[in-house]
Amino acid sequence: MNRRTRNTRRRTSIVPWMVLFILFMAELLVYSWCRVQYVQTGYEVNQARKEGRRLLALQQALTVEEARLRSPQRIRRLAQNQGLVVPDSRQVVVLP
Amino acid sequence: MKVYKKKRSDPARWIRFRIILVGAALALGLGVVMARAVQLQVLHRGELSEKAASQYKHALQKSPRRGTIYDANNQELAVSVEVSSICAYPRRIRSPKKSASALARTLKLPRAAVQKKLCSRKSFVWIKRKASPKEAAAVKSLKLAGIDFITESRRFYPMKTLAAQVLGFCGTDGRGLEGLEYYYDPFLSGREDQWMVFKDALGRPFKTESASPAIQDGYNLILTIDKTIEDIAERALCETVERFSAKSAIAVVMEPKTGAVLAIAHAPRFNPNSFKHYEPWIRRNRAITDTFEPGSTFKIFLGAAALESGRIRPGSLFDCEQGRYQVGANVIHDVHAFGALSFEDVLKFSSNIGAAKIGAAIGAESFYQTLKAFGFGSRTGIDCPGESPGCLPPPERWSDMDALAICFGQGVSVSALQLATAVCAAANGGVLMRPYLVQAMTDAKGRLVKSFQPAKVGRAISSKAACNLVHMLERVVAKGGTGQKAALSGYRVAGKTGTAQKVDLATRRYARNKHVAAFTGFVPSRDPALAIVVVVDEPKKSPYGGVVAAPAFRRIAEEALQYLKVPPELVIPEQEVPSIKASRGEQWAG
Repeated sequence: MNRRTRNTRRRTSIVPWMVLFILFMAELLVYSWCRVQYVQTGYEVNQARKEGRRLLALQQALTVEEARLRSPQRIRRLAQNQGLVVPDSRQVVVLP
Repeated sequence: MKVYKKKRSDPARWIRFRIILVGAALALGLGVVMARAVQLQVLHRGELSEKAASQYKHALQKSPRRGTIYDANNQELAVSVEVSSICAYPRRIRSPKKSASALARTLKLPRAAVQKKLCSRKSFVWIKRKASPKEAAAVKSLKLAGIDFITESRRFYPMKTLAAQVLGFCGTDGRGLEGLEYYYDPFLSGREDQWMVFKDALGRPFKTESASPAIQDGYNLILTIDKTIEDIAERALCETVERFSAKSAIAVVMEPKTGAVLAIAHAPRFNPNSFKHYEPWIRRNRAITDTFEPGSTFKIFLGAAALESGRIRPGSLFDCEQGRYQVGANVIHDVHAFGALSFEDVLKFSSNIGAAKIGAAIGAESFYQTLKAFGFGSRTGIDCPGESPGCLPPPERWSDMDALAICFGQGVSVSALQLATAVCAAANGGVLMRPYLVQAMTDAKGRLVKSFQPAKVGRAISSKAACNLVHMLERVVAKGGTGQKAALSGYRVAGKTGTAQKVDLATRRYARNKHVAAFTGFVPSRDPALAIVVVVDEPKKSPYGGVVAAPAFRRIAEEALQYLKVPPELVIPEQEVPSIKASRGEQWAG
């Protein structure tokens, strides 16, 4: 009777420790998971930034190309090749 | 019994002793560990934290993007693009000789120079800054160890030579060196930012954070320059320089009512993308920095001073001495001999003798005050570097001959911009406006940061005097006038020709064969949309402003008015009947 009581007492005293241990382990796992996710997201953000920079550089290159294509010297050369000339002021009618 | 007890107690004591010994050893060990922990975590905390951080944390200086420069219609004139610069870490290069020959071949660089760099003791060397995308790709494909690529920003001018002298250019470090790039550099370049990059054991970045709260890209500039008008002016100048074998030419196109500069053109042109290949005088914005003697174009302001003083009225007659007028030891000549000419005809035929007599009639002080009111002798205040104030000495320093010579634009110097600004005042009812090149500043997202409004400097002459002056200047461009080659069909034009001898710097005398030919005017003269100044330096085939510069004015005005959709006035320019017979019309040039 005495031994059984002692065993029961020992079991009941282990339970809170077990719970604490499980909680601790769970917290450890959650924390580790969070850290892994944090680093993983960091990689993804970095990758997205890299892609953003690439697209920005592409946009800049296209802007430059567009500006170059719109240059008056080029347009005039193309127009002259087509046989176009600057009209005389008497040939121009400005509509109100 | 006692002996037995003794025997029993000895091992227990020994065990206790051993337990205490082990406990003490463990406690000592723990103490050492704890002491070490305290030493590391508390005493050397800062130093060790830094050491650890240096292995995974790297500071990165991030340059902001330089602002774009747009023309009046939001077309890009100067943009920044990201390019790769090729660098090397010499200690990581396995075979410097092989790498050097491969790099030299690909980048077309001298092999010895590349090899010297790769063999250097430095930890980092540049191989080629701001390489072209093609070159960077070719070097990447070589897959050489120890060769790396760093992204840098490079200034690019997509319109090449267009408005190059106005825009200026940037150096290798991305800082503005001339023109607007220099003047607005603090706004265009933005604020640098430092970033912290956290890298893992493999060197992959996984976290980036800004050390300062806000990175600020450079502001964009929106100019008053219109690329189409700029192109028209540049083309007209280039053709004039070629046709008359001139040294150079300048044109300024302005909006008289606001002072907005629509074009500043130069010939010869230069490409700011490769500015090092051009001489400094070609790269300079000479319309602002260089001065010249304005010649007869200055008679506009003599006329304005005469009208403003009230001492001379339209119709007043002046004896032009048949082309030769002795003043003390000096003689003033006219290109053609005239007898009596009216005030209007003195301007129309550009008589130097008539101008000298008008100047004498109004007085030096009155003339000087009018010239100051038009802005001569002081900077216009345009937002561009290196502006010259020109030279207009006070009347106390004028000799008798100076007082007469200044009346026809010799003995003073002005910049093309000053002349254009002053002509704008004459066209704008006598109100002088401050010229400006930048109409707005926007941030990287296109939001307005600052806008620049037209600014009135003051009144140069009364509106009545300005109105009379306009009528007189219209006669200059009418049939028989020196500026008739500037006449346009469908529009009234007011203007004045100018031909000035240049001073030979070697002899310090006026050179016989070196001239500045100029024309300055505005159109439509009664409601001006454009004021244009054309200055041609050292034309070989003809020295006269009416022959060399007036046709360039006409061409710029004609195309620009069409482009701006300014409707023709449906009037044929006034066919003036000259007060003397003008059989030599085309040769007359002031």
